[in-house]
Amino acid sequence: MFISYSMANPLTRVRIPRRLPRPGGVLVRTGDYVEPTRIVAQAIEPADFRIVDVARELGVPLKKVKAYLKVKRGDTVAEGDVLASRGGFGGQVCRAPIDGTVVGSGRGRLLLEAEPTTITLAALVPGSVVEILPAEGVVIETVGAFMQMGWGNGKEAYGVLRVVVRAPRHPIRPKHIDAASQGAILVGGSRLDEETLTQAIEMQVRGIIVGAIPPSMIPQLEAVDFPVVTTEGIGTMPMSQAFFDLLRSLDGREAAICGRVRHRWGGERPYVVVPMPAQAAQPLNPEVPLTVGSRVRVLRGPYTGTSGVVADIPKGLIQLETGARLPGVQVDFGGKESALVPFINLERLL
Amino acid sequence: MAEARTIESILIADCGTVFTKLLLLERVEDSYRFVAQAETLTTMNPPWSDLGVGVVQALEQLEQITGRTLYASGRLITPQQGLEGVDAFVVTLSASEPLSLVIAGLVREMSLESARRAAAGTYTNIKAFLSREGSLNSPQETWARTIRDLAPDVVMLVGGVDGGARRPVMELADAIALAASMLEPDHRPTVLYAGNAELRPQITKLLGDITHVEVVDNVHPSADTEHLGPAQNALEQMYIEERMNTAPGADALMAWSRLPLLPTATAFSRVVDYLYHREGQPSRGVLGIDIGAATTTVAATFEGRPYVTIYEKGIAYGPLSWIKEHDVAALLQWIPEEMEAEELLALLYNRELRPWTAPQDPRELWIEQAIAREMLRSALAVALPTWDVGKGSKRSEMMPHVDPILITGGGLVHMPRPGQALLVVLDGLQPTGISTILLDVNRAAPALGAVAGLKPLAAAAALEAGTLVSLGTVISPVGKARPGDVVLRMRITYEDGGTLNVEARYGDIEIWPLLPGQKASLEVRPNHHFDVGLGPGRGGKVQVVGGLVGLVVDARGRPLTLPDDPDRRRRILHGWIWDVGG
Repeated sequence: MFISYSMANPLTRVRIPRRLPRPGGVLVRTGDYVEPTRIVAQAIEPADFRIVDVARELGVPLKKVKAYLKVKRGDTVAEGDVLASRGGFGGQVCRAPIDGTVVGSGRGRLLLEAEPTTITLAALVPGSVVEILPAEGVVIETVGAFMQMGWGNGKEAYGVLRVVVRAPRHPIRPKHIDAASQGAILVGGSRLDEETLTQAIEMQVRGIIVGAIPPSMIPQLEAVDFPVVTTEGIGTMPMSQAFFDLLRSLDGREAAICGRVRHRWGGERPYVVVPMPAQAAQPLNPEVPLTVGSRVRVLRGPYTGTSGVVADIPKGLIQLETGARLPGVQVDFGGKESALVPFINLERLL
Repeated sequence: MAEARTIESILIADCGTVFTKLLLLERVEDSYRFVAQAETLTTMNPPWSDLGVGVVQALEQLEQITGRTLYASGRLITPQQGLEGVDAFVVTLSASEPLSLVIAGLVREMSLESARRAAAGTYTNIKAFLSREGSLNSPQETWARTIRDLAPDVVMLVGGVDGGARRPVMELADAIALAASMLEPDHRPTVLYAGNAELRPQITKLLGDITHVEVVDNVHPSADTEHLGPAQNALEQMYIEERMNTAPGADALMAWSRLPLLPTATAFSRVVDYLYHREGQPSRGVLGIDIGAATTTVAATFEGRPYVTIYEKGIAYGPLSWIKEHDVAALLQWIPEEMEAEELLALLYNRELRPWTAPQDPRELWIEQAIAREMLRSALAVALPTWDVGKGSKRSEMMPHVDPILITGGGLVHMPRPGQALLVVLDGLQPTGISTILLDVNRAAPALGAVAGLKPLAAAAALEAGTLVSLGTVISPVGKARPGDVVLRMRITYEDGGTLNVEARYGDIEIWPLLPGQKASLEVRPNHHFDVGLGPGRGGKVQVVGGLVGLVVDARGRPLTLPDDPDRRRRILHGWIWDVGG
């Protein structure tokens, strides 16, 4: 029986893959210790280019273009430079539309290519490079608290965690974001609204962690330049108690927050890493079987986002409100609340 | 034949986008029977990045269920030795990323449309269409930039009937050459040329030194001819070589199997084709729908010719992009209670984040059913124009007469009640005439299509041995009337001689008892404005077999329309759900 998992652990040894968005080169070696801002890989973004139809602009036959050219392959040109000219009465001039290099010519045309830009990949987490992913990036091993998130807006940052609400069901509000929030990664409770996001942008926060966000805000959040991640996913759920308690215990510590999100053909889960001084810590084992007492979180239905412990694993199938019958467990949410949840809608918290 | 006689057991692995399913077949006397099945998560992507991990997990489940050893020393035991191992192992795969494709051509309604249809026969993701779009100037710079920035796996170049346009095709080829030369050699797209046959030497000369060029027959060789087969075959071969065979862990699975990996859609279409030939009624087509997490496959056979269309959206992956093309209201219209768009959208986003989860309350279930309806409708809209049947008739936009309709895939098979699955199929496909709806309860049909390549008799025997369960026979009269008008009268004569005289009224779904396997003779008399597949107003006698839901008359008319008024619409939806026992 397959049961998914999320890691929400105060101290573990974790391997973080860091990948370029396109093939490039790796700048570090296995065994190197890297700080969060260290550039570990870089790639060249394809340059802008232009096809300049010299024959048409000068009004001359293709075969005669060569005679009027003022540049040759490999020449660097600035925007407005003369590429070709035809003198005399009613003469014409063909100018470069962009800064760049002449990389090709033929059939009466020139191909100009702009200076390519370089994209860089920072380590994000402090730790040791344990694997080189050729042309892709590196894998960094670090020790600390590690939390796998539900959704992220694709951005990432490193900063100080600041818990600004008192309970996981409390939403983050503009009043929680003051001058002290500048450069901090704010931890809210249940959700985020537009007013609060505007305040966060003004106060130049470095990131936001909340339980969930409404689907209508996704386009806005994808446009901001700092990471926003949710512990539960999309909707109106409070942050699960297990995640909130762990984040609260880490208030004031430096954290790496990555909002890259899993997609249909791969990608990775968003995560938060809070590095700890090097000490003995073991990697988590996702293969541990589910037993009575296992920490779990509900992924669907009325208890979505609620964390608890397995109280019983009944034999046979449980009946859902939909009428479906599936294998599942009894989950105790603390207090007097408990519910039957199918395995498929449950995940272990490691 | 000697080899065929030795196959005592067959293990089938179907690696889907979300789940990997294993089925064990064993020979019992002269037939093959299902012994056990197991399912786990597909492990092609991180954190596992190895298809074999999921297959081995499922193998361990099978070992627990059957008590026999199947896996030892890091590999599948094959051939079978006593009670250990299996004689044959076949794998179908739909988990691989589709081929990314740019289609370049001349006329949107002709060559580009033909190319799009050819691409729909394989797992492809069309990233862009390049054409002049009526412009006098050739936007080569834009074309080249598009190809360079997208860096697709394949650029399919079409256009010009054979002996027709030359210069516009060569302009596109120029742009492709420029874009390819700006990419690193190992990232250059393969060019599939399926245009004007006279240009083949020029195209090969221009592009051959820059990238790999494959030349196939023109998809549109003359103004009124379409010829998709060679282009479809070439794309499927590219998908197999570039996507399936290179999937993480595929090499180990291939080493265990004596057959090459097979695309799930191809395997499924074999089963649909088998049903067509089994039915032996050339006037009727056979339809199969596989609605999965990431794709919806429509396989059909008409007049002996098989068709496959892969719609690149499924139950979990696709609804969000589908909403961008359509509207969230199109999904909300199927929800029988008031629901805000935010609630529906939140579920769709979370479903993509956790595609393996199942609906736990009725509101979640209604959303899933609404998605299934619209994915069926959209997939059919793509498939319908590719079928060379009923074209030019008044009903060319309606579903042609098909019988049976085979339904598989987690999106439908997992519905808690059979009536729910039936209603979704009726709303989504809107069949016409008289059709039997078959549900592939073990979701084994695609896998059995793969087995057919190894041992056709085993596949046929397993199909006949309870894999396909009838939901019922559905009579769908086509016509228009006022709500409440009688559109069909019918005399049902059961095997025990009992009879029932019934009538169906416009706007209703009527269901009469007819148990699975139970046969009945129907004397059907439609209203003179309605057609049940026997001609307008024409009735007749037909033999039918029952199913889990019964004998169904869908008298809601075609095309099915829902009232605009939300309260009235919800009342009607509740009524239909009640009618089918959902």
